[in-house]
Amino acid sequence: MNNNWLEKNTFHYSDFKDLGRLVEEKAKKDLKISLCLPTLNEEKTIAKEIIILKSELMTRYALLDEIVVVDSGSTDKTTEIARAYGADVYDAAEILPQLEPYKGKGENLWKALYITQGDIIIYLDADIKNIHHRFAYGLLGPLLMDDHIKFVKAFYDRPISIGKNKMRPTGGGRVTELVIRPLFSLFFPELTQLIQPLSGEYAGFREVFERIPFPIGYGVETSMNMDIYEKWGLDVIAQVDLDRRIHRNQDTKALGRMAFSILKTFINRKIRLGLIDLRDELFDEMIQYNLVNNKYQPDIFKIEGHERPPIIEIPEYREKFKIDREHIQKLQEA
Amino acid sequence: MDKFFEQLPGFVDEIKTLKEIIITNIVLIGQTPAPTFREKKRSKVFMERLAEFQVDEVTTDGYRNPIGIIRGTDAGKPPIFILAHLDTFYERDLAINYVIKKNTITGAGILDNSLGVGVLTSLPAIFKKLDLRFESDIVLAGTIQSIGKGNLRGVRHLLKTWPTPIRGGICIEGIELGRLNYYSDGMIRGEIGCSISDERGKLEEYTPNAIIILNEVINQIMSLRMPQRPRSRIVIGKISGGANHGKIAHEGGIGFEIHSDSYKMVKKTFGDIRDIIEGLGHEYEVDLNLRTISNLRASRLKYTHPLVKNAAAILKTLGIKPFSKSTESALSIFLSNKIPAVTLGITHGVGHYKEKATMEIEPMYQGIAQIIGVIKAIDSGVCDEQQLA
Repeated sequence: MNNNWLEKNTFHYSDFKDLGRLVEEKAKKDLKISLCLPTLNEEKTIAKEIIILKSELMTRYALLDEIVVVDSGSTDKTTEIARAYGADVYDAAEILPQLEPYKGKGENLWKALYITQGDIIIYLDADIKNIHHRFAYGLLGPLLMDDHIKFVKAFYDRPISIGKNKMRPTGGGRVTELVIRPLFSLFFPELTQLIQPLSGEYAGFREVFERIPFPIGYGVETSMNMDIYEKWGLDVIAQVDLDRRIHRNQDTKALGRMAFSILKTFINRKIRLGLIDLRDELFDEMIQYNLVNNKYQPDIFKIEGHERPPIIEIPEYREKFKIDREHIQKLQEA
Repeated sequence: MDKFFEQLPGFVDEIKTLKEIIITNIVLIGQTPAPTFREKKRSKVFMERLAEFQVDEVTTDGYRNPIGIIRGTDAGKPPIFILAHLDTFYERDLAINYVIKKNTITGAGILDNSLGVGVLTSLPAIFKKLDLRFESDIVLAGTIQSIGKGNLRGVRHLLKTWPTPIRGGICIEGIELGRLNYYSDGMIRGEIGCSISDERGKLEEYTPNAIIILNEVINQIMSLRMPQRPRSRIVIGKISGGANHGKIAHEGGIGFEIHSDSYKMVKKTFGDIRDIIEGLGHEYEVDLNLRTISNLRASRLKYTHPLVKNAAAILKTLGIKPFSKSTESALSIFLSNKIPAVTLGITHGVGHYKEKATMEIEPMYQGIAQIIGVIKAIDSGVCDEQQLA
C-alpha cells in the first residue's frame, strides 16, 4: 500500500491563498476553468454561492471563466435567483435532449461536461451555508501548481493532523465511516487515505471526467474515486482541507438510501472489474419501515442505479469538442 | 461641488456594478460573530478585506480598533473618518448564515451593523471604480466595544488618541436610509439589580420576591415627572429575573436609559432613581443596587452647519427624504470631541434585533452614493470653517 500518499498529496486550502499566483499559473498554462453547481431546490444558498465566487474569483481574480448551474427541476426559486445573479442556468433535461432523461446529481454533473467550456471543472454542492471562495481556490490549487495532479477532493474540519502523531477520532460523515471506509478497507486499502471520499466538492481536468462513467445518483462520488484510481492510480489524486463546511443535516433514513445507492455502485464496480461474482441480480428497491397507527408499513424507494457512459463516447460531445475516434483510440491505448 | 453633486445619481448605477463585491463583504463580515468584547475574529476579517483591496495602510490603533487608511493627495489636510461599529448585539456565538434572495439579505445582526461594516470595507473598491481621489486621508475604522456595556470605548479611544486634528466624520449604520443624525441627547444607561439571600428564603415564611420589588421600582420610576423642556424621557428596555414559575425570585434586574437635551437633567433624574433604589432597598431589606453602564453628554451640530445642510442636499439630490432624530452612538463621541460629523443609514430593513433581520439590497446603492457625496462635501471644506455649536 502507498502509505506516503496521505502526506504527499494532502493540502490545506491556505497553501493556495496567493490567488495572484494561481491566476499566473492559469494564464501560463492557457487553461479555462468552469465552476458547476448542481441544484435541486437550493433557493436559500444558491445566491450566496454565486455572488461570493463571482466576486472573488471572477471579478477580483480572473480564475473562473464561467459559473454554470445545472438544475434537476427545482420547484422553488433556485433558477430565477441564480439567473438574477448572473450564473448560466440550464435545466438538465434540456441538455442532450435526445437522451433518455434521468434525475440526480450525477446526471447534472455529467451533463455539465457538455455545456461547460473549461479544461478544469470544479463541482461544488449548492447547499453550502458557509460558502467561501476557499472552496473553489483550494481545489484549484493542486491542479494548477502540480502537473501530476488531475483530480482533487475536498475534506473538512481538519480531522487529522499530519506528521505530529496526532490522530483525531473523526473522518467523514456517517455514511463514510459506516459504509465506504469499511468497504475500502476490505477491497481498496489505499483509498482509505481519502479522508472524506463522499465529499460533494471536487475538481479535475476535463480529460479525466470525460473518460469515466457517471452514476446518476448518490453513487457518483464513490464511482469517481474508484474509476480514477483504477485508470490513473492514486498519485493523480490530491485532497484539500477546506476547513469547515456547514450544510443541511440529513436524517438516518435519507442516509440509508444514500448508503443503498453507494453499495450498489460499489458492488457493480467490483463485478465489472471481475473481482467478485454474484449468483443473482441485485434488487433495486430500498425498503424502510414506518409505524403508522400501530402497524409497520413499508416505505419502498426504487433506486435503479442508472449510469451514464464516459461522455467522450457520446457523438454530440465529440463533435462539440472536436474529438475524433482516433484520438479516443490513442487515449485508450495509452 | 455642485457639479459633483449632479454626478451622484449616475454613481448609483456604477456602484451597482460592484454588487457582488459589496454583498460578499457584507456576508463574509456578517457571518463572522462579533459579540461586544469578543470582536477579534471579525476584526481580522475586516483587516484582511481592506488589505485585499490594496488600502495604503491597514493596522490597529492602541485599543485594537482595526483601521485602514487611504492616503489623500494633500498631506496638509486633516483626515476624514468613516466608521462603523464592529460589534453585534448577539451576546452568544450564534452560527450565523445569511440567506440571500433576489432583493434581500436575511440574518442575525445584518442591520446592526454587518451591513455598515461590509459597505465600509467596500469603499476602497468603490472609490477605484468611480475614479475618486480625495485631498484628505480617508480613515476607515471598524470600532470595537460600542454596544451596551462596551460604552463606545473603541471610538472614544480612537478619537482621543488620534495624533492629528480630524476634519470630519461619518458614522455608518445599516438602517434607515434617509436618517441624517447630527445631534445626540445626553444619556445615562444603567442597570438595577435586586438580590435576595437564600438564607432569608429558609428563615422567613413570606420571603420578598425580587420581581415584585423591581415592579415597585418601575412604578416609582414611572411616577417621576419628566419635563417637556428640556425634552427628557426614561426608557426601561431590559428585564430579567427568577428561575421557575412556582418559585420566589431571588434575583432580578432591569436595564434603562435616561435621555434628555440637557445632561444636567439626565444627572438629576439618575439621582432621583438612586433615591428610589435606596428607599426601596431599605424598606424591603433587600440588596438593591444601581450601576451606570454608559453615559454621554448632549452634543449637536446646528441644522445650519454646512455639513448638515450639504448632507441634506445630497440626500435630496439622490431622491432620499432626510429625517433627523437624536442618536446616542459614535456620533456623540465625534461631536463631544468638537469634530463635525453625521450618521447616515444605508438601506431599508425589517426585524432589526431579530435573528431574521432582513435588509433590502436595491436601495443600498443609493445609500452608498450618499456616503460618497458626504465624503466629498467634507473633502471640499464644509467642515473647515464653522466651529461646533
